[in-house]
Amino acid sequence: MKMLEEARGKWVGSLNEVVIGATKQQGGTRTSTVTVGGEKTLPFLAYEGPTKNRPVVAMEIWDREPEDWPNSLMEALGDAVKSPAEWAKKCVEEFCAEMLCLHLMGTHPDFGNASPQSAAAVVKSVLAATGVPLIIWGCDHDETDNEVLPRCSEAAKGEKCLIGAVKEDNYKTLVSFCLADGHSLIGLSPIDINIAKQVNILVSEMGFPLDRMVMYPTTGALGYGLEYVYSIQERSRVAALGGDKMMSMPVICMVGQESWRTKEAKASAEEAAGWGDENTRGVFWEIATATALLQAGSDIMVMRHPAAMTAIKNVINKLVK
Amino acid sequence: MKTYSVTFLPDEKTVQAAAGKSVLEAAIVAGIPLNSVCAGEGVCGKCRVIVKAGKVEAEPNGFLTRREIQRGMALACRTFIQGNVVVEIPPESRISGIPQLASEDAIRFGRISERVGDGAAFPRNPLSGKEYLELPEPSLTDNIADQERIYRELQGRRNLPAMQMGLSILQKLPELLRESRWKVTALLGYRGGTTEVIEIEPGDTTARHLGIALDVGTTTVVAHLVDLQSSETLATKAKYNSQISLGDDVISRIMYSRTNERLKQLRDLVVNDINDLITGLVMDAKVKFHDVAYIVCAGNTTMVHLLLGLNPANIRREPYVPCAVMPPVIRAAEIGIKINPRGLLLALPCVSSYVGGDVVADVLVTGMTDSTDLSLLIDLGTNGELVIGNSDWLVCCSASAGPSFEGGGITCGMRATDGAIEHISLLPGGETAECSVVGGGKPLGICGSGLIDAIAELLRNGCIDRRGRFVSKGCSAKMIRETESGEKEFVICPGKGTVLGKDIVLTEADIDNLIHSKGSIYMAAECLLAHVDLTFNDIKHIYIAGGFGNYLNIERAVEIGLLPDVDRNRFHFVGNGSVQGAKMALLSQDALHYIQVRIAGAMTDFELSSDHKYMNEYSSCLFLPHTNIEKFPSLKKKNRNLSEGARNSP
Amino acid sequence: MALKALDIFKLLPKTNCKKCGCPTCLAFAMKLAQKQANLDQCPDVTAEAKAQLEGSAAPPIRLVTIGTGNSKLEIGNETVMFRHEESFYHPPGIGVVIPDNLDDNELNARIEAVEKLQFVRVGAHIRSDIVAVENVSGQADPFAKTAAAVQKLDLPTVLMSKEPANIDKVLESCKDKRPLIYGASADNWEKYAAIAKEKQCPLAVSEADLDKLAALTEKVKAAGVEDIILDLTSAGISETLQALTAARQLALKKNVRSLGYPSLAISSSAQTAGEQVAECCTYIAKYAGIVLTGLHHPEYILPLLTLRQNLYTDPRKPIQVEPKLNQVGTVTTTSPLLITTNFSLTYYTVEGEVEASRIPSFIGAIDTDGTSVLTAFASDKLTAEKIAAFLKSDAVKDKVTHKKVIIPGYVAVMSGALEEESGWKVLVGPREASGLPKYLKTVWKSE
Repeated sequence: MKMLEEARGKWVGSLNEVVIGATKQQGGTRTSTVTVGGEKTLPFLAYEGPTKNRPVVAMEIWDREPEDWPNSLMEALGDAVKSPAEWAKKCVEEFCAEMLCLHLMGTHPDFGNASPQSAAAVVKSVLAATGVPLIIWGCDHDETDNEVLPRCSEAAKGEKCLIGAVKEDNYKTLVSFCLADGHSLIGLSPIDINIAKQVNILVSEMGFPLDRMVMYPTTGALGYGLEYVYSIQERSRVAALGGDKMMSMPVICMVGQESWRTKEAKASAEEAAGWGDENTRGVFWEIATATALLQAGSDIMVMRHPAAMTAIKNVINKLVK
Repeated sequence: MKTYSVTFLPDEKTVQAAAGKSVLEAAIVAGIPLNSVCAGEGVCGKCRVIVKAGKVEAEPNGFLTRREIQRGMALACRTFIQGNVVVEIPPESRISGIPQLASEDAIRFGRISERVGDGAAFPRNPLSGKEYLELPEPSLTDNIADQERIYRELQGRRNLPAMQMGLSILQKLPELLRESRWKVTALLGYRGGTTEVIEIEPGDTTARHLGIALDVGTTTVVAHLVDLQSSETLATKAKYNSQISLGDDVISRIMYSRTNERLKQLRDLVVNDINDLITGLVMDAKVKFHDVAYIVCAGNTTMVHLLLGLNPANIRREPYVPCAVMPPVIRAAEIGIKINPRGLLLALPCVSSYVGGDVVADVLVTGMTDSTDLSLLIDLGTNGELVIGNSDWLVCCSASAGPSFEGGGITCGMRATDGAIEHISLLPGGETAECSVVGGGKPLGICGSGLIDAIAELLRNGCIDRRGRFVSKGCSAKMIRETESGEKEFVICPGKGTVLGKDIVLTEADIDNLIHSKGSIYMAAECLLAHVDLTFNDIKHIYIAGGFGNYLNIERAVEIGLLPDVDRNRFHFVGNGSVQGAKMALLSQDALHYIQVRIAGAMTDFELSSDHKYMNEYSSCLFLPHTNIEKFPSLKKKNRNLSEGARNSP
Repeated sequence: MALKALDIFKLLPKTNCKKCGCPTCLAFAMKLAQKQANLDQCPDVTAEAKAQLEGSAAPPIRLVTIGTGNSKLEIGNETVMFRHEESFYHPPGIGVVIPDNLDDNELNARIEAVEKLQFVRVGAHIRSDIVAVENVSGQADPFAKTAAAVQKLDLPTVLMSKEPANIDKVLESCKDKRPLIYGASADNWEKYAAIAKEKQCPLAVSEADLDKLAALTEKVKAAGVEDIILDLTSAGISETLQALTAARQLALKKNVRSLGYPSLAISSSAQTAGEQVAECCTYIAKYAGIVLTGLHHPEYILPLLTLRQNLYTDPRKPIQVEPKLNQVGTVTTTSPLLITTNFSLTYYTVEGEVEASRIPSFIGAIDTDGTSVLTAFASDKLTAEKIAAFLKSDAVKDKVTHKKVIIPGYVAVMSGALEEESGWKVLVGPREASGLPKYLKTVWKSE
């Protein structure tokens, strides 16, 4: 196939591989681990080379029952949302999630103000409930995260979790804990590729290993800033493949969180006449957001609706075969 | 409207002011220029005064501590007169001192004789000439008009295709010629497309023929008195531009000038400054005002507008349109400048709203258009302008660097005048190793070059991370402390060694401001290079011009990412290119023509505010030296040590 | 290969005479490089310079027009692999495939459904802008009937059939509508090419792989058909994605003229709706000039149209939201009223934070040409006068009884002027949007 040969890009770099989860032999209690990253090509271009590790979908669960998620989402999840451990179990056993993202929204001062100790207890309960690797995400309120996440890091010591997130002006505390407790770290940047790189540099200058870092360039849902993130992720991938070691981290996307905030996901049939079936609109919005970001270069997709997750997993399998 | 008296100490000056006027306004009337970065809006905190006695109404603000307010301290622009008052102006609020002048010996461009004259690039043909004429008396066989007689004689000596003579000269001409027995001196001046016979004087006055080269800078005004017969510079003088009290930078001055009255106020301030300088020059050189026939001035576009009384309002509004970039030659007296009453004034052409005659002059002085070598010129003054090019083409842009290079917006920042820490080096741990202060005395504050040194040193010692935030582990505890509002600051010089008795500190916000400023310049350079598909490596010469630019430590500037990491031999200091370029034009019409056609007329200006590369990548320059360390290869080794050091520290 | 600005400059007279309307020859060269000016504007350019400059102007991917009149679709003429390098220029047509074996009711319903696939997003009209008729029955009459019915939509049309004669028949009545002919492949291309040439319509060609496709397009071009569309639909999403990407790469970077045409991809209906939506999104993102699907409900198509709108915005121009008063949550007349700019990123950030605060609020997006707060303030686009006018406008003035307005922290200096101009009480909000939840809960609550 001469043409495909001709079309190959000449890349000199690759993404780092990050392993999340530790089995018994490795010092944890997970029954499976997940490896992301490692790509040497643009997304899914088999003619440039095989995809080393397929992108992974994680399901998002909260440490408290969400209050304003639309019906179409809540109905699919059922009562399990009342308990993080139940929710975790349902995700893995019924929806076949390969990874979980525990979002500690209950610790936010405005949403429950749960204590660091209770957050750590939730972490332990979720780790006990299932064997899949775990992402632990704070509430994005700096002072709270600086108290809560270190306790969670300790509670999960040895499990090689992925913990989020550090920012350019708030990274020192969490970096020390994750370094000591063996976890990987998510670096957050506000839709700015330069700040993304700066976060990576600052964190690595504290001695944190590059292959335990994941980037979160912030996710914008379809129709609500998607294209900004899309281009940043494409630029990041090109930079990594071009050899920039400080941009060679796998990328995580909060697809569920962003797409289920949109009007298209939430509006009732009366409010959005002409937009189609209110029970499935949100699912397709989540699918479309995820698909676009996969093409831009993503490694971990954190999603909410089981049907959207299934569709994306199937699509990934087809793209990677 | 009631008026009250306002007495300023220690100047012992008293003025009358209407009730409700601010102390700042009264100070301007009293001729005591006060610092005001924000032109009186109440948001910079630099115009502190102490109300010793009398009734005032002071607006609350966030800049003064309770103790200071109890002491009677207030912001002059937010304090309004309600009775007879006595006000003390502390040293840190004054625009005082004489600005440091660029040492012209330091740079090879200073020798005008090398650029203008025999064997040089430009022949000597000053914009103003004097010719002593012994005219043949009229006779029946030669009875052409008096005016034509003069023209004929002059055209026999010089190539003067077009000439003009003013009505007031003609009105006295017949009598003057006959009384002086046809022996007169004609004073000539370049007037755009023609040569004007500016004045006819009896006898031979050719021995006294002077011109002035004037740099009208945003912060400083510099004047050189030149003997137009010998090309020698007889005297130089400089002072701070009094417009500073109505705004530190061009934008705030443009915003201030929104009424005709205020436009006039701004013009009067700079015209008075220029007249003061001229008086000083004339006295120093022991000549007369009358002998000064021609002024060539160079300044950025806004300064030229304000000097000539042109409305600058649209300069700062998209799409950024100046009133004129090639103003006509005028009579200096038209704008109130006191030289020969019929003397002329020419402003060097500007290019666009933000790239003016000063940058055009810099280009001439560097000689960058003489060769096919690619050059980059950076004019680092109150504003920052960049030019890239060679003998074939020129591109330029303006970078909105902000006032931090001049000390504006910096807690203990000041201009490079007496008391400013201009260079500093630190020991590991953060204590001062060496520190040099302008004027040699105790430090009052820190100026731009000192700030750059300090930040480079703090980075090297691991006291700050590459985003400019303090890292307590890198610095000994007593150097970094937390204020009552929870902010961290670094003590450069403890109070007991300073003029004010207060610690001279550097806060994270100060460092952030400087990082933003240096980022603007570096990013502007990269954008301009990108427009012509070049990189720093293609540039053979990097010229640094502008007031602040002269005191820069190149190595430190590279370490923080203000200047690119190229062979240090490529850097050259230009000194005050503005006044030197003005001088070259004054001494050579050819040089002026070259400026008009080959420089100003050829420069292609780029507007960065709508440049998407600038907007996308600016944040990459907010790292020390840069997010992409590969751009600074000679620093990579140093940085490896930095991160290793951090890893090994407890 | 496109010439760079400096190279173009070297070919110009370099007199800076300004006759072209630009201040310098270099400025003119820059505009020529960006295709924003025409060489004819320079009266003094030499003949050789002209020849050199014009030689490099042919686009690497042909611009092909399908349909006519206002609803015509222009695709191709793309210049980059990644939108961030420059921009994507011609949004792909997104269309529904209507089979010719529906009964009358079904057909009408289908056509009505397609008609409804029009929406307004951020002030722009987006719609399914192409439609395909597929000759599933294999017979001429149903095909012709369906094609005729579809004309009601007044959209550019794709006529899909394995029988060239059937296409020819349909074209008798609609050739002047310039439909795209689909069905040509290795074993039957001559007949299709003849029809396409005669009826002056664009032709889509299919082949097993890119090498064979490149050879085929050369033959088709030699036969007199220049408006070619590459049908890159392959066995599955992976193969199609690779074909789309490789074709674009080869046309742009390797100058393979035989692949220098817009491409088309059809999503397979042998999968769930979710997977079909994902497949279409993939093709929209990755270089397709036309994307066709059997799905026709709004919940499937709106995401596709939105994705197209997002990715085909010029990244160099800021996106603006409509300047108007927006509501977040169930607002009342005592809800807070915040001011921000109409730069989409700024607006969405503020909206997101207000949502997170769970305090229903009004947000006024002021027209600042899509610039952020600081930029707008510095360039006089966000002024007290503008905000005051907004507050006094009918859309706003009676919405709240309290007459208090919250302005962004960065423009605190305008509070005095704004109070004077508007008569409202001005509250200065936080500098960063992230401070809004706290601000609304503490400062606003205590007002």
